[in-house]
Amino acid sequence: MSAPMRCVLLALNSPGYRSLALGYLRAYAQADRALAGRVAFETLDLDTDVDPVWIAWRVLGLEPDVLGISVTCWNARAVYEVCRIVAAVRPECSIVLGGPEVGPIAEGVLAAQPAVHAVVRGEGEVTFAALLAELAGAGKAWRVDGLAIRKGEEIVSTPDRALVTNLDELPSPYLTGALAPIDGGAYLETYRGCPHRCAYCFEGKGYGRIRSFSDARIAAEMELVASAPGVRTFSFIDPVFNLTDERLRKLAAWMAPHVARGVRLHTIEVDIERIDAEAADTLVRAGVASVETGPQTIGRAALEACSRPFHRERFAAGVESLRAAGIACECDLIVGLPGDEVFDFLAGLRFCFELDPGIVQSSTLHVLPGTALWEGAAGFGLEFDREPSHEVIATPDISFRDLRRAEVLAASLQTVYKARV
Amino acid sequence: MIRFAEVMLGSGGPARCVRCHGPREDATYLPAAKLATSLRETCGSWEGRPGPNVMLAGPEPFGHPELPRVVGAAMAAGCARLGLDTDGAALQSRQNAAGALSAGVRHLRVRILAGAPGSHDALAGAPGALDAAVAGLRAFREAADAASASTSIAVLVTVCRHNVHDLPGAVALAVECGADRVELHLDDPGLGLASSAAWIRAACDTGVVNGVWVEVDGMPFCAMPGYELHLSDVLRARTGAKSAACGACALDAVCAGCAPLASADQLAELAPVANGERLAAGIARARAGEATAE
Repeated sequence: MSAPMRCVLLALNSPGYRSLALGYLRAYAQADRALAGRVAFETLDLDTDVDPVWIAWRVLGLEPDVLGISVTCWNARAVYEVCRIVAAVRPECSIVLGGPEVGPIAEGVLAAQPAVHAVVRGEGEVTFAALLAELAGAGKAWRVDGLAIRKGEEIVSTPDRALVTNLDELPSPYLTGALAPIDGGAYLETYRGCPHRCAYCFEGKGYGRIRSFSDARIAAEMELVASAPGVRTFSFIDPVFNLTDERLRKLAAWMAPHVARGVRLHTIEVDIERIDAEAADTLVRAGVASVETGPQTIGRAALEACSRPFHRERFAAGVESLRAAGIACECDLIVGLPGDEVFDFLAGLRFCFELDPGIVQSSTLHVLPGTALWEGAAGFGLEFDREPSHEVIATPDISFRDLRRAEVLAASLQTVYKARV
Repeated sequence: MIRFAEVMLGSGGPARCVRCHGPREDATYLPAAKLATSLRETCGSWEGRPGPNVMLAGPEPFGHPELPRVVGAAMAAGCARLGLDTDGAALQSRQNAAGALSAGVRHLRVRILAGAPGSHDALAGAPGALDAAVAGLRAFREAADAASASTSIAVLVTVCRHNVHDLPGAVALAVECGADRVELHLDDPGLGLASSAAWIRAACDTGVVNGVWVEVDGMPFCAMPGYELHLSDVLRARTGAKSAACGACALDAVCAGCAPLASADQLAELAPVANGERLAAGIARARAGEATAE
């Protein structure tokens, strides 16, 4: 019997976090009977601040036959450097990328990155496992749906892969042991898709409709993570935690025994305009200590350009409900959205500060692959860096210099706001 | 945008250019009990959010014989953000820096007059004053880092004809010391607006490229085209002095003109801004925190 193919899964995360995406990939592939005994997995969860040379050192030390990397706009430059080094030292290794940074522009990534053999488009679990089966067997990887891949000198895109209808078919990274929960850095996912269609955001990942894991699966994952030794806080990656009132009440009920022990949820993303006193109370019962929300902008032109709803009074009422419930709230703003002048951004800052939510955070627009802004950038007149992290350079309404000024001014105001007893 | 109420600790203001204003007045301080009353009134009548926020201003706060009681009174009054307007020297003592921090002080406004010791000390009439300010600022920063406390440190420069050419250097020093922002307050009726604008623009650019915001107070929009964001009028209404020409300016409603004690020469430099309607509307939105008009 030949030795199993060695597959290294690599993610470069914010310090203190581990990749949930790699957990899904590994859990699914390990459960795939077609791969049983044929592929051995090793996961490298490293921090974004590690030098690519030393990341490559770690990867090459594992002598991989396949290297799968989860790519975001934040780590892409480092990932590409790692790929170049690994390909140069170990050309027999197949390098496969996936994730929001590369999936929507898969052929372009292959064209620009000769070290990369294939890019997984969209939801990765089934496609990656199928690709591994081909690489470990017949080698006809271009038969796998959901890929962009090299075929000789060509780059070909195979047909789109249908989304997994029943998410419970994807084994849980936590319940299978593919991913160990860590305090503060563990994230759960209860559904895929997003009810909103904000033009700058790829959180829905083009999935369209919302698909949920079953109640039993969600409850089991929550039980495991919340009960894990040393875990006092964890979070959810759901784009809207309070998707429906009924769902929120269920989550609160499942969390209740853990909340009683002091376990808390942090940085939960909420639709704040739907939060009233009752919803805030439910969030408290769910153990929510802090939430993150918009408004991203309050400028009408930008809201329209970004297909984003905003109701000033409801937003303010939501923050007030959270304040009354003792939940810390982070209000986020984006500078550089199409339609916004720099003064609209400042108006948004003032609006947020005057709500006194606890944290006000601003960031510069990143025109992300797969988003409506990426597709429509020319029409909006957005100048942005085509290389990751795709930061906006100038807009028709905000000059390059004023964008940089707005960043510094906002940082200064946030420092003033944050400095309190 | 985040408003602070100034509570004066007494009479005899902070250090200003001795060549413009003569020797510094002797400080006299109000008793802590009286200041406590004032702080209670200020915090108790605070309207809007965030706040209440108080800056203890006037004469050097560390010269107040009961400063700990005053700071304690501010905290007891419910002050959310408390700052000291200081020359920074007393903070050289790590005990003072750590003590102020633990008592609740989170904001500093450190006054300097130039970026080099020779210039600053001559203008302040106090040998060694800049080195002391820098050491104090750094000690406060170190104490805050040690305590993992969020603080905000501003360097304030009162701008006059004697230091305007050194503003980029002053900003560079503020950056080097770890200040979070710089405030430039124009304070000299003899300062030409056009002739000083180049130095002020250079100071603003020095700050931006180093990630430190520079806010300019007392300068009209017409003297700083392209640098409007740096002017304090963008964030708040202020008092100032204007000329008849301002009536024809599209920015009239959002611009306070020169500093209040402007000279006739300065007022003569004010000129209407052409095509400023969009800018004026934007500034009005920024001040009001409101969305674009439909």
